[in-house]
Amino acid sequence: MSTELTFATVQDPDGATVLSAAGEIDMSNAAEFSAALDGALAEAGDAPVVVDLTKVDYIDSAGLAVVFPHIDRVRLVASEVLAPVLTVVGLDDVMTVRA
Amino acid sequence: MSNASAAEVFAGGGEVGHDLAAVEWESTPLGAPGQWPQSLRTAVSILLSSRFPMWMAWGPELTFFCNAAYRRDTLGRKYPWALGRPASEVWAEIWDDIGPRIETVLSTGQATWDEALLLFVERSGYPEESYHTFSYSPLRDDDGDLVGMLCVVSEVTERVIGERRMATLRDLGSDPSAIRTEQQMLTFAAAQLDRNRQDLPFTLIYLFTEGGVELAAATGAEQEEREWPTAAVTRGETQQIGQALLVPLLQQGGSPYGFMVAGLNEFRALDDGYRGFIELAAGHVAAGIASARSYEAQQRRAEELAELDRAKTAFFSNISHEFRTPLTLIMGPVEDLLDRGPDGQTRAELDVIQRNALRLGKLVNTLLDFSRIEAGRMQARYEPADLATATAELASVFQSAVERAGLTYKVDCPPLAQPVFLDRGMWEKIVLNLLSNALKFTFTGGISVTVRAEGDAAVVTVADTGAGVPEAEIPRLFERFHRIDNTQSRSNEGSGIGLALVKELVELHGGTITADSTLGEGTTFTIRLRFGAEHLPPDAIVPVGKAADWKAGAGPYVQEALRWLPGDENGDENGGENAVRTAPTKARLLVADDNADMRDYLTRLLRSAGHAVEAVGDGQAALEAARVHNPDLIVSDVMMPRLDGLQLVAALRADPRTAGTPVLLLSARAGQEASIEGLEAGADDYLVKPFSSAELLARVRANVELARLRNHHARWRTALIDSLQEAFFVCDEDGAVIEINSTFTDILGYGPEGLPYPPVHPWWPDQESDPDGYQQVAAAFALLVDKTHGSYTIPVSHRDGHVLWVAASFNQVRDPDSGRRVIVGTFRDVTAEHYAVQRESALAALSVRLTEADSLPGALSSVLRDLRDLWQATQVYAAVFTGDSTPAVTTTDGGPRWDELPGHQRQILASVRDEALLTPVAERTGGAGISLEHPNGTMALWVQLAENRPFTEQDQTLLALLAGRLGQGLHRIHQIDQQRETALALQRAILGPAQLPAGFAVRYSPATRPLKVGGDWYDTVALPDERIGIVVGDCVGHGLQAATVMGQLRSACRALLLQNTDPAQTLTALDRFAVQLPGAMCATVFCGVLDPVTGDLAYASAGHPPAVVTHPDGTLDLLDQGRSRPLGVHNPSGRPEAHYTVPSRATLLLYTDGLVERRRLPLTDGIGRVAVTVQQGRGASIEDLATEVMESMTPDGGYDDDVALLLYRQPGPLELDFPAESTRLAPVRSALRGWLARAGIDPTTAQNVLVAAGEACANAIEHGHRHGPAGRIRLIATATADYLRLTVTDSGRWKTPRPAENPHRGRGLTLMRALMTEVTVTTGAAGTVVGLQARIPQ
Repeated sequence: MSTELTFATVQDPDGATVLSAAGEIDMSNAAEFSAALDGALAEAGDAPVVVDLTKVDYIDSAGLAVVFPHIDRVRLVASEVLAPVLTVVGLDDVMTVRA
Repeated sequence: MSNASAAEVFAGGGEVGHDLAAVEWESTPLGAPGQWPQSLRTAVSILLSSRFPMWMAWGPELTFFCNAAYRRDTLGRKYPWALGRPASEVWAEIWDDIGPRIETVLSTGQATWDEALLLFVERSGYPEESYHTFSYSPLRDDDGDLVGMLCVVSEVTERVIGERRMATLRDLGSDPSAIRTEQQMLTFAAAQLDRNRQDLPFTLIYLFTEGGVELAAATGAEQEEREWPTAAVTRGETQQIGQALLVPLLQQGGSPYGFMVAGLNEFRALDDGYRGFIELAAGHVAAGIASARSYEAQQRRAEELAELDRAKTAFFSNISHEFRTPLTLIMGPVEDLLDRGPDGQTRAELDVIQRNALRLGKLVNTLLDFSRIEAGRMQARYEPADLATATAELASVFQSAVERAGLTYKVDCPPLAQPVFLDRGMWEKIVLNLLSNALKFTFTGGISVTVRAEGDAAVVTVADTGAGVPEAEIPRLFERFHRIDNTQSRSNEGSGIGLALVKELVELHGGTITADSTLGEGTTFTIRLRFGAEHLPPDAIVPVGKAADWKAGAGPYVQEALRWLPGDENGDENGGENAVRTAPTKARLLVADDNADMRDYLTRLLRSAGHAVEAVGDGQAALEAARVHNPDLIVSDVMMPRLDGLQLVAALRADPRTAGTPVLLLSARAGQEASIEGLEAGADDYLVKPFSSAELLARVRANVELARLRNHHARWRTALIDSLQEAFFVCDEDGAVIEINSTFTDILGYGPEGLPYPPVHPWWPDQESDPDGYQQVAAAFALLVDKTHGSYTIPVSHRDGHVLWVAASFNQVRDPDSGRRVIVGTFRDVTAEHYAVQRESALAALSVRLTEADSLPGALSSVLRDLRDLWQATQVYAAVFTGDSTPAVTTTDGGPRWDELPGHQRQILASVRDEALLTPVAERTGGAGISLEHPNGTMALWVQLAENRPFTEQDQTLLALLAGRLGQGLHRIHQIDQQRETALALQRAILGPAQLPAGFAVRYSPATRPLKVGGDWYDTVALPDERIGIVVGDCVGHGLQAATVMGQLRSACRALLLQNTDPAQTLTALDRFAVQLPGAMCATVFCGVLDPVTGDLAYASAGHPPAVVTHPDGTLDLLDQGRSRPLGVHNPSGRPEAHYTVPSRATLLLYTDGLVERRRLPLTDGIGRVAVTVQQGRGASIEDLATEVMESMTPDGGYDDDVALLLYRQPGPLELDFPAESTRLAPVRSALRGWLARAGIDPTTAQNVLVAAGEACANAIEHGHRHGPAGRIRLIATATADYLRLTVTDSGRWKTPRPAENPHRGRGLTLMRALMTEVTVTTGAAGTVVGLQARIPQ
């Protein structure tokens, strides 16, 4: 049984594709995250995808490794809890912190 | 609700629940479980869920229930039969004991309490002795009626039996110093064994004797006599025979001493513990036998040494002091008399005197020979000699004596081909003694002497046909002072020393002497001496002497022998010159004249008148002679060289000893003036030459008689003083000795001729070689000159150099004639007493050392220091030769190891080891050694003395005695060491919880060594709901008695806490217990119940010092609420309880007053100091902190009271162990998140820790997977005040991160490093450990 994690892909009012994740991301479910991100990227065509991690309480290096190959097309939104980790791995330039 | 099924009622009861459900409840008075009242169901549920042993009874028949713990600990084979049965049936065999108690509970509603109650339960197929501490509490049904009871029980069988056995072993091992003999020891051991009849219903101790076995001791129930099989125990094996165990009494390095038959307790199984106990008890008995036998053997040896020493000392001191001086005084005058040619009768009498004096002299000389041999001072000079001729010449001396005795005499000494190396004087003594001996005991037949060569040796035999010696006496023939009684001999005189001397002298030649004898037929002595000189010390070999006269010392032997023979009229050997017959001696005169003719004339003239005359050539010689033997009259010329007559008179008058001696001056100078001058100078009379012989004789007679009248008093005084047994002396004001008596000369060797002896007196010890002795004498001398009277004991040096001790006392008196102050003193020789006292006090000091010491090395080094002080040694070495490794060296100053010792020192020690045990070896190089038995092997002891310091015979005796005692003492300490180890192992088993809950650290330090337990204790108890009971207590007193009380209080408190889980109630219940337990009154106890999740602590204190809490920021809280009086003391308002919440990362400290209490300081002072220590150490780990607290609080000289210490930090560490699978990451995070919250960590730090720990775990999972599915990961998290520390341990090896190859891998480590204060990765053969450390922001 992998760690609990759910996804939802929606269009925000600006028309951007938003992948919202809720739960915790670690090596046991990084593959699910990867599949969800691939789906969202395909759906968005060439447009950037916003990955909303505000409801994610925990992400480790396996989860972050999913994001790196798509760094040019991904914008991250994260809570204050996750911000220090994302900053440490150098994702602060594609990240917005939301309380 | 009321229709629950049986399965539901017993749910959660595990196997017991399942079996309870299977009971046919419908056939019991309780009916179907579904119908049971709620109260019963609740009771059953509590029962089943408890992990503490419990059983309960409910309903009219007291139907029996129990839980799994009770089943395991107590019920045994009665399970599951007992379930649902009436309790009276289940426990039929002990119902007499427990029935009334249950009755009391049900009738009064009051709980009962029993401590360690003995119950014989049948759970293992036999009635088993068991002990239970239990409480019966009432159970009520839904209506509140008493319908049953719950029993919480703790089985304490192991503890009770363990303590009992320990007590027996302790008593056996106690060391009653009065025990000396084997029988005393066995009686003592039997008394101890008999006190434990439970474990040893009877014991029989058998010892192996030459013929079989012998019952040496028996205890307990009478046993019929029977033969026990001994094959197994003889081999050293234990054997069980029926209800008895046969245990060998093992002897170290030998076959068993015997065996012990131990009756077995029929109510206990013979398990390892029981068997071990019996074997240990037998071991104690065996050790006791070993000790007693060794003690007896060594005691005998020491007594023999002391006895020999006493005999010798007594004999030699008698001989030297009582015989030698008078002997000389007999011999001299007798020779003078014989010289004067007395007539027949007088001459015959003088001969008798002379022969006896010679005989005495010979005996004294023989004894002195012995003392020389013993002291190694016999200076042998071996020269190549013709043994046959030498022996024949010596034998010829006895020719006439043998013939006169009517015996045949055969001397058969053909020449030998080779010379034999002989010491002339010694050989003479050997042959003459043997011949003298033969003649003494032979009445018919004859004596023969032969010399032959046999192989590489010359054989000399002296055979007689005399009385012979009984066979039994032959072995003692050469023993010193041994005389064979009831043997016909020519004389009863004899010291029994001649043959012993012969043997010593033959052995000095490297030869042997044997005796063959048949009673009534005769005796043959056979001496074998090897040819050549190889067997003799090279430095004692001298070239052949000049014209050998082999009969130089034969005179006394032959004269003595002749006197044994009848018709003795032989006396012409000393053939006196023809002497003029003279009148009886009237006076002793001293003649001084420088003219030899005049001197001879005066001498002849005065002798003819019957006077004894001594003649000297000048005044000085006269003065010296007068001082030695004060004459009756001095006849002196006036004109003489060196000292003339007038000066002589003046000198005589100036000396108190000679002031009264009359002087008759002779002078060629006539006239009044000369005469007056002489008389004024103090002369008594004056005669002018030439004078007629008649005038001279008349003047002499007149002066002698006048002087006798005048000096009667003075002569009486002199005679009196000379007859004193004590030495007598007179000193002038300056301390110069001016008068002495003859005993003074006997003791010190300094005679009157040397008077006066000005200070420093010649008998003072040498300042260089004996500074201590010199100081003592100087101090005594100061006393003598300053005080009016006094006494002192000092070492002095005899004229011949040997040191002796004298006890002196003195008085100041005023000389009535001169009015001057003089000092009169006496002293006696106390050398023997002095050494006896020194010996006794050294032995006593040694015994004290051995008693005080608690380890072998400790005993040895303190004894070595004593030996050093005793002999003012520069160093004392002890080397124990264990046989298989390098000897263990101990010295007085810590000292070097064996391989660091100088080579010669190693050699000395090795040679000492090779000597016979307890035989001192002294060397001229300034040291002495001895070997003795150390428990680990032979020990060589070496006392290195300062240069010049002699090691006397007394010193050697003392060393032998001390070494003997030391050997015994070391063996005893060795045994006590072993016994203590055994006792400690047992003691440790009754102290402290086996396993502490996480987050706790404890320390314990008992005041009384060597015990490891005292009156203080700490305890932790796992309670339901994960709560933890914490107890720290302190019984009054310390030592074993307090420890016993402590053990019971601790057990009781533990059981009560399990029952109540409420500190105040627990203490209240403990009060009742304490009242009944002697020694438990006034014990103080802190009792708390901690919820480690929340940090909530409920606590109550019975007079115990307050607990201390240190917050992470250093704030201190004292838990001083919930206070009441110590245990057993009336508390009118009951015992209050207080609540406290231990903050996150705070440290809780509990302790007993021994930690903080100091004399003359308030308790609060100590509490303040320990609080500061904990405050400063709040960042350290809990274990390090515990060590730091114990060390920093240690008073100078160590703790003098028991100390118990318990530390807890909230929260306890988190310890997780999980399989290396990624699905476990989420639950691990959840657990860690919860723990971080309990530790009060802020969200950001917590998230950082979660990610870093997650990365470490993820890495570990990758490695864990690579090594198969069995890999496991262990995560441990601990908190201090300002740091978090985590370790993640796996069994794999980490990949080296290579970010360039795959930029997205290996990011985990980067993350950890970025988020944590410190990261360490340690990869070893067993796996990888990641250490994470994060500072907690304040």
